[in-house]
Amino acid sequence: MRSFKTYIPGAIFAWTLAVMVSCTPGSCFEKTDALLTASFYRNDAGKLQPPDSLTLFGLKMDTNKIYNKTLNVQPALLPLNADTTSCSFVIRINGITDTMTFWYSSYPHLVSMECGYTFYHQLVDKPSVTDNIIDSVNIGNRNITTLDVENIRIYY
Amino acid sequence: MWKTYAYIISFLIVLVNTQIRAQEQPDDSVIIPLKIKAGIEVSGPVIYFTDKNILSTEGYISVDLNEKLAVYAGVGYSDFKYSQYNYSYLNKGIFIKAGVDFNMLKPEISMGKYWAGIGLRYGLSTFIAETPSFWYKNYWGTVLSSLGTSTRLGHFLEVSPGVRVELFRNFSIGWSVSLRRLIYSGTSKDLRPIYFPGYGSGAKPFSTGISYFMVFNIPFKKIKVEIKKEIPEETEETTETEDQISIQGK
Repeated sequence: MRSFKTYIPGAIFAWTLAVMVSCTPGSCFEKTDALLTASFYRNDAGKLQPPDSLTLFGLKMDTNKIYNKTLNVQPALLPLNADTTSCSFVIRINGITDTMTFWYSSYPHLVSMECGYTFYHQLVDKPSVTDNIIDSVNIGNRNITTLDVENIRIYY
Repeated sequence: MWKTYAYIISFLIVLVNTQIRAQEQPDDSVIIPLKIKAGIEVSGPVIYFTDKNILSTEGYISVDLNEKLAVYAGVGYSDFKYSQYNYSYLNKGIFIKAGVDFNMLKPEISMGKYWAGIGLRYGLSTFIAETPSFWYKNYWGTVLSSLGTSTRLGHFLEVSPGVRVELFRNFSIGWSVSLRRLIYSGTSKDLRPIYFPGYGSGAKPFSTGISYFMVFNIPFKKIKVEIKKEIPEETEETTETEDQISIQGK
């Protein structure tokens, strides 16, 4: 028993160090943005095909473009506004412009302790779209999360 | 590495002491004192001195049913605060645990003083959680929001191997490693609790931890336990060899 007492300070030191190391907060490595995933399909063939050129930005946000004449985008990822229940985008496919509007609800989601919170969305209605080049928009999955799932199909 | 160092020290204490005890007990039976044990977890308050954002205290009572088995009941309290660049979080709650402890040491080794075994427990937590503020920034700008106070109830399972050593008469110390599985966090999957009293990070389905205990023992009964003696295998081999020799001789 005498020998044990000599180990006590060492054991306490080891334990304190272990606690300090194990309690150090980690970094955020997870995906934190829930983006609407839109795939492009040719209307005539019904086949998955990216546009030759894509320009996309939020309505009245033309100075801040999400895609700017970007080639072969497939799929396009659209951020929704968590502060409102709808938002509109200007979409220019192969030089022809349309406007799309989405209606949705937003709710908070905890990503992790390290990353904090994000907002998930759920589409509540079919998107409205002008028909200059876009023929139709179909909803595949209403739930917009951080998972890579196709939410809408844009036929052009 | 350092945790391992602490474990090794504890194991050495048990091993050294039990070897001595085993050598001192040539009898066919041993007297084992059954005890009521009251333990307090000491690492939680110590951590609180270095980090005022987390206070976790825990205590338990276990009652020996025999030399191997004890029933366990524990209770704890936690107060957790956390903040980083994009949110702040508060959680306060209590938890209870119930289960059994199995001593895996032989009676002639444990002698009612040493315990090395495994605990199986069910835990139930109730807590109040709040996210006073969080920020989310994307293409459209920054959203500042909050989640109000809510009271939740959740539960989990725990497997807890560990060691206890009687340091002085009726006073023991020891540690346990805890491996926990969350059954239900008390919330929807979108708003899992960042902290779950008695469990740890409620955002994860499994959690681990280590606890250090001071235990006060109250002996209430003594039982006589027979020692199962191992039959040496060498005797059979010797007999066989002798038989073979005698057959060959005939």
